Amino acid sequence: MPSPAVKPPAAKLPAAKLPAAQLPAARPGATAPGSFVTAWAGALVALLALALWSLSVGVSDVSWNTLWSSSEDDMVAQVLLYSRVPRTLALVLAGSSMAVAGLLMQMLARNHFVEPSTVGTVESATLGMLMMALWAPDWSVWAKMGFAALMALAGTALFLAVLSRVKLRSAWIVPLVGLVLAGVIDAGATFFAYQHDMIQSLRAWANGDFSVVVEGRYEMLWLSLGVTLLACLAADRFTVAGLGESFATNLGLNYQRLVWQGLVVVAVVTACVVVTVGSIPFVGLIVPNVVRLIVGDNVRRSVLWVAMAGAGLTLLCDLIGRLVIAPYEIPVGTVMGVVGSALFLILIVRRRRIG
Amino acid sequence: MTFSVARRQALGRLGQWGVVLGMAGGAAAGWAAETVTVKDNTGEVRVPLKPKTVLVLDLAALDIIQALGAEVQGIPNQKLPPLFDQRYSDSARYPHIGSLFEPDYEKIRTLKPDLIIAGNRSLPKIEELRKFAPVLDVTVDNQQQLDHVYRNIRAIAAIYGLKDKGEAEIQSVEKAVADLRVKAARQGPGLFLMTNGGKLSVYGPGSRFDMLYTVFGLKPLPQKIEVSKHGQAVSFEYLLKANPEWLFVLDRDAAIGREGAAAQKLLDNRLVQATKAWRNKQVVYLNAANWYLLSNAGPSALKANIQQLSDAFSRS
Repeated sequence: MPSPAVKPPAAKLPAAKLPAAQLPAARPGATAPGSFVTAWAGALVALLALALWSLSVGVSDVSWNTLWSSSEDDMVAQVLLYSRVPRTLALVLAGSSMAVAGLLMQMLARNHFVEPSTVGTVESATLGMLMMALWAPDWSVWAKMGFAALMALAGTALFLAVLSRVKLRSAWIVPLVGLVLAGVIDAGATFFAYQHDMIQSLRAWANGDFSVVVEGRYEMLWLSLGVTLLACLAADRFTVAGLGESFATNLGLNYQRLVWQGLVVVAVVTACVVVTVGSIPFVGLIVPNVVRLIVGDNVRRSVLWVAMAGAGLTLLCDLIGRLVIAPYEIPVGTVMGVVGSALFLILIVRRRRIG
Repeated sequence: MTFSVARRQALGRLGQWGVVLGMAGGAAAGWAAETVTVKDNTGEVRVPLKPKTVLVLDLAALDIIQALGAEVQGIPNQKLPPLFDQRYSDSARYPHIGSLFEPDYEKIRTLKPDLIIAGNRSLPKIEELRKFAPVLDVTVDNQQQLDHVYRNIRAIAAIYGLKDKGEAEIQSVEKAVADLRVKAARQGPGLFLMTNGGKLSVYGPGSRFDMLYTVFGLKPLPQKIEVSKHGQAVSFEYLLKANPEWLFVLDRDAAIGREGAAAQKLLDNRLVQATKAWRNKQVVYLNAANWYLLSNAGPSALKANIQQLSDAFSRS
């Protein structure tokens, strides 16, 4: 077992993952340029260490020594290239893009407690996949994903439309509206699946799981990375959008177009992730909020942090899922549900204390 | 005084009711032609002999009844696997009485059953079903699957008055099992794999697919697989490491008659191709309906499955 690779993340992790300790000093404006660079380097090293750890964990005996020394066992390199590398890449891509999608969602809804899996985006994409599985099983994966993305778009737009009609927009009404809407869409999908004896299949592929990711089964996630990068380029605009329609319009922005761009990004990312690995709850909720507590609301400043932390958290949860009952696995969606809800509670309690 | 009078009247009325109830009970007992005591999941039950209206909420029980050449008057509301006779699709003759998990109580009430046969998937509903008629609980326990299949065949045969046919079915199954065990004993260890929604899970001895190992006699892999209802989720890497000589694949999406991520397509990758089972062409795609829906608990499903494995072992 690759013990050298195991140590560093454990040591680096608290610095990157639990920013609570450095919270007061690290608030926006208080960060000196020097410590900023240090933080960046530290986070990158931590992420790399997590990725290396992820590469080294698996059922087969692949240790770094065998990889460098012996060439007779071809299988070692095979496993690494065919299974471990794709899985790690998929985790990084899915985690970072879901986290960024969450950040955008929060800007568009102007509320910090929404994300694709709590406003109906994920449920709509899942419903789209289910419809494809029943009506057009022969279509190509890309066509199915396109349909799922359209459904995700419709679901998210519906959420924003409902939201715009809600008069009293207190902080808790917005996520509540989202949860209700998500529940309704999920109920529809469940009913539909029930009628076709597909409940178990639905639950199986809706729960985020990287266990069958191998080369050729994750590449769609690169598309979500591309879309996420586009969103990063428009980071400033989303910051302004987060300040509200009249403010954005005053600054000469086409608010409606911006909202639609954001919606498309969120929908495409969600559809890519749901289609390839299933839904990963909470990552889009926890990560942007933790990052916001440290670096503030400016999307340009926070978006890369969000992407890195999203990748890190997803890698970590998948590692937990692979390690606790090895050689069997717990799906990442389940682990994230547990870890995420714990982090969420901490977040709420802390928020109240800070005020 | 009025109080005691009232009380006496009340007592008298109670007594009258008692007589009426007793008569009704006697009448009911006299009306039910005859009863027979058989074994089921709950122990021994008294059920009517040769009942007129039998409702079945278990596919394996339906298989037993069909093998015995007996009749039913109500079947579960689902697409029946091909091993069942075409005539069951006539829903006027064979009314649907709800799904295996959710019986249609209204329908059951209107059919006035003399006997309901249910088990496994309908187990949680059996107490409710007892309100309509005596229930034969044909649930099969994972720890003693074959014994319970024989128990169910005997019970149903006795109820229909077809004991000899039942014993004949049991004997033919016993012989098929014995032949298969001889062949299986010569084979290397195997693994039961289920694919569902593009995910993999494995099942070992003691699981719901225990029959493969304990009854059919295939050697399990040396490493133990924890028993859990939905198996243990694994990766392709696990299959490579476990490296079984035989891989028995159940495509659950196929079991429910849906186009899913077909198991064959899912497994056709470099890691699985490196396993002994794949290289020696010892990957067997099981009859999903027989293994999953009927759980090997009906004689026709059981014999068909034994035949498939027997053929596979003969070729190797």
